[in-house]
Amino acid sequence: MSVTKKTGGKAFEILQNLPRITLANLRPEPGSKQLRRGRGQHGGNRSGRGHKGERQRGNRPRLGFVGGSTPFYLAIPKYTYNEGHSRRPQYQPLTLKRLQYLIDLGRLDTTQPIDLTQLVNARGVTVQPLKRDYGVQLVDEGSDIFAAKINIEVQRASEGAIAAIERNGGVITTSYYDPISLGILIKPVPFFLRGQPIPRRMLPGEDMVPYYSDAENRGYLADLDKIQQARIALALKYGYALPNISKDELYHMLSMRKDVRQIFFGLAPGWLVNMHEKKILKPTDEKLLKYYNS
Amino acid sequence: MSVSVCLRCSGLRGAVWSALRLRPPAPGSPCAAAGLRLFSAPAPGETRPSIEESTAEYKFVERLIPPSKVRHGAGKVSTGWVPPSPSPPDLPYMIRRSRMHNIPVYTDVTHGNRLITIVRKVEGDIWALEKDVKAFLKDVTGKDLPTQVNEVTMTLKVKGHFDRELKEWLLNKGF
Repeated sequence: MSVTKKTGGKAFEILQNLPRITLANLRPEPGSKQLRRGRGQHGGNRSGRGHKGERQRGNRPRLGFVGGSTPFYLAIPKYTYNEGHSRRPQYQPLTLKRLQYLIDLGRLDTTQPIDLTQLVNARGVTVQPLKRDYGVQLVDEGSDIFAAKINIEVQRASEGAIAAIERNGGVITTSYYDPISLGILIKPVPFFLRGQPIPRRMLPGEDMVPYYSDAENRGYLADLDKIQQARIALALKYGYALPNISKDELYHMLSMRKDVRQIFFGLAPGWLVNMHEKKILKPTDEKLLKYYNS
Repeated sequence: MSVSVCLRCSGLRGAVWSALRLRPPAPGSPCAAAGLRLFSAPAPGETRPSIEESTAEYKFVERLIPPSKVRHGAGKVSTGWVPPSPSPPDLPYMIRRSRMHNIPVYTDVTHGNRLITIVRKVEGDIWALEKDVKAFLKDVTGKDLPTQVNEVTMTLKVKGHFDRELKEWLLNKGF
């Protein structure tokens, strides 16, 4: 590795030592197009357009036209398979294998709760709220090699993924972020630089409330007792011994959960973050406090 | 329609608050946050400042800032990540790791059928690397594959998808 890099390398050296370019030195690239001059240069006579008719005159009908009978693309009836596809919520999949990879490389800190901000900061997932992404879903590919105790918050999770996380003594919660809150969650710094107070996180729409109120999905709106029962039931179903996290030294961290209206850990809605002076401005007006704490 | 939605929301809120009462006070919840006074009226004749400043909770903001450098972890076999060898291998060329500490070999597909493998971040004698890659791929496939060397960007392109083979080969060399 003692060779110093010169931009252009050997090609540059060759160029410097070659003689001046003249017509005597130049030759066309083998296999390149050779231009012809004269009447034959655009194909000659009819120039490849055929004889009379729409073909030669450039008046052919539109793509898909079949001479007058109902064309194929209109004859086949539609079905609602793809109806509203552009409005359906999408969730970026995150495999347990990738999660383990990120933890192993030190990109994710397991001593703090992992939420979507931490995943994006670790460059583990890319979420695009403008493309109808509503967050991240945990997929159970790699559940056999997963071995990390974490407090993770995602938007959807498969049963196998929940089992894998709880088997290792971790805690998983599924919670909802409306598109604006999601945009703020994945890019907190540009939001703070905007100079707006942290908004309240909206509650899910009526179609998503059953999902997030269900203890089976570890929804953030579900009853805590039911979640404990579901943990025990899942352990029985998948055949592992449920570790007792209350005896754990990291119990305080594992039990940390965001409030329903909170976007960031430790920061309440209504607060304004001043990054340049490293200060947080909090409102004191009654009405504002009542609104933000409702 | 909006009225019914509000009622539904308040009903839900009731359910949510009952759930919240069961939960032990989370340190991050707005109600438990220090410095927030609820429903306290100002004393007569006294004007309260409209905002309060605090630096105590700024540490939570610092946790949200994305790091510019990704940490170099110890690495475990379960995920297949192998760290680079502590000393660079004794070869006329060097291939650096990417920002995420992986081997910089990538594949590309153009026009649906044009498969190319790219080796980036090459330093030193790129022609020696090209020779070694050609010899290695001749053993693997039995064919002399066309390659392209770009001395300005110091990249090597090979026709075909060989990212898995090349990554393993480079890892074995110790890059």
